[in-house]
Amino acid sequence: MPAVSVRDLRKTFQLKQKAAGLRGSLRALWRPSFQELDAVRGISFDMDEGELLGFIGPNGAGKSTTIKILTGILHPSSGEAEVLGRVPWRQRQELAFQIGSVFGQRPQLWYHLPAVDTFYLFGKIYELDDRELKGRIAFLAEAFEIEELLETPVRKLSLGQRMRCEVAASLLHRPRVLLLDEPSIGLDVVAKQRLRMTIQRMNDLEGVGVLLTSHDAGDIEALCRRVIIINNGEIVFRDKVSALKRRYLTVKTVDVRYNEQLPPDFTLPGVEMVKVGRYGAKMRFDTRVTPVEPVIGGLAAAGSLADVTVSEPSLEEVIGAIYGQAESKDG
Amino acid sequence: MASGGRRQAAPGSGVRSPSLPAALGKYWAIFRTQLVNSLAYPIDLLGRSLLIVLFMWIFMNLWRVTYGASGAHSIAGLTLADTMWYLMMAEAVMLSKRDLSEEMTEQVKDGSVAYLLNKPFNFILYHFAAGLGHSVLAFGGNLVIGAAVVWLMVGPPPGIAGWLFAGAAVILAWLLDFCFSALIGLSAFVVEETAAFRWIYQKFLLLLGGVLIPLDFFPAWLQTFSLNLPFAWIIYGPARLFVEPSLARLGQVLLQQGIWLALIGGTVWILYRRAAARLAINGG
Repeated sequence: MPAVSVRDLRKTFQLKQKAAGLRGSLRALWRPSFQELDAVRGISFDMDEGELLGFIGPNGAGKSTTIKILTGILHPSSGEAEVLGRVPWRQRQELAFQIGSVFGQRPQLWYHLPAVDTFYLFGKIYELDDRELKGRIAFLAEAFEIEELLETPVRKLSLGQRMRCEVAASLLHRPRVLLLDEPSIGLDVVAKQRLRMTIQRMNDLEGVGVLLTSHDAGDIEALCRRVIIINNGEIVFRDKVSALKRRYLTVKTVDVRYNEQLPPDFTLPGVEMVKVGRYGAKMRFDTRVTPVEPVIGGLAAAGSLADVTVSEPSLEEVIGAIYGQAESKDG
Repeated sequence: MASGGRRQAAPGSGVRSPSLPAALGKYWAIFRTQLVNSLAYPIDLLGRSLLIVLFMWIFMNLWRVTYGASGAHSIAGLTLADTMWYLMMAEAVMLSKRDLSEEMTEQVKDGSVAYLLNKPFNFILYHFAAGLGHSVLAFGGNLVIGAAVVWLMVGPPPGIAGWLFAGAAVILAWLLDFCFSALIGLSAFVVEETAAFRWIYQKFLLLLGGVLIPLDFFPAWLQTFSLNLPFAWIIYGPARLFVEPSLARLGQVLLQQGIWLALIGGTVWILYRRAAARLAINGG
């Protein structure tokens, strides 16, 4: 049985509309009009126990709405969902003992108190006994490298430190599934890497399944084997991260430098020349159209090579392209 | 992995019902954490409590002139000292109650309500426990400072029975006030902005609840009208009991508070169940 199972899930919000100005305000009072917003439009997917599943999409794609339905906070307009065999919005309290969640933009630690105070509070809320709780806090403090931070008021922690404490707090009760909604938002590169490492470590150590939403494709690339891309409330891609790369990372950019001058009209068949200088050139080609071998052969034949760099588009650019495709289909 | 000390529900089992001690332990922990949180800024806490000094000074000047002009030793059965001790208790309750409606509204508007709805506790009881943790400390501060000032102004306070009886009534008063706050706060699940409801409620408390003036001083018809509304039993009830701590009055205050609690608390419970189903959280 999958840990998370979603079938044809839909969520429609009613948004109150108001025309500009005083007249618009008065009319909205007298005769309010509503616009329906389909935040989630019939999505279906499964997540296995212990899986690290990426769930990404642009702002307003429906990621957070889906996560909130899966935690039982929001009721869907239609469709089915089960998390660990329970229907979240009907068995929210029961499910709360089995899942953890972190909403990156909404702190759950008490702001003026040291994180350890919230840890003890959560211990009571999740009905852990005192001895077990102490052991668990010590274990998580070590795993997340937050021993030195636990007794500092949360308001005095950096964002990266706070986020590690947030995730640790959400794991106190040993959830089987962790829902992480944008945990890396606002973090610098180093803090992001530390957070990713700790999430990976907890997945290895305790087998906790993680459904991770992120704006940062790097989070997904570093942590997830499988990814679901959602746009305008619909799934536009679902497969392994490696398949995503294989399918979309076909455009190669080549930077080449020679020991001798290049002719100004230097060109290769099937290759788009981005820039040609006196001793080097930058070019781009699609491996589905132009095979790699003749390009490399052509470069070697053109003169004495000093350096060659072949690079792929970042996952970020690939995802941007997928969103773009989905938008143009909708349009 | 070490086995958990927590009671685990069997997979696929039915409704999980925590034991009473575990359930009480949660809300006690929430109460205690809020208490500690309120102590994070002791100077701020003291500063807020000092507000009662200003109020008592204004009331003293106002009522000294009123009693002087009337030439009577007591008005509607209350001496100047009774009136001042009444107003001290009324202000101590008023200044220490937590405006949960504003907090709930903010939580719905900024989306942080998500964290309270996905934890294994009752959202309403969570807020009550946290509110109580805030109020107890603020009430203690108001009481100590307010009592010291009023003692200097008009002499010693009522006897020990007044403190005990009023203490019991204040806890139910907070509960009743909490139910009103929850009612206003829950409307945020539907209308999002609740400032107007909150403003109206505050004014009802001030005028018909007996914060500014003991209800005994009202004309008979207005007094009857006010006593038949719940607001009087949040402020007037405990404060009047403080200066006239009879068993008959204690029974009347607790009965009225109980009736209104059942009525408004029941409404809150029903509304909460409905509101949670139609919650729309911002930012996602």
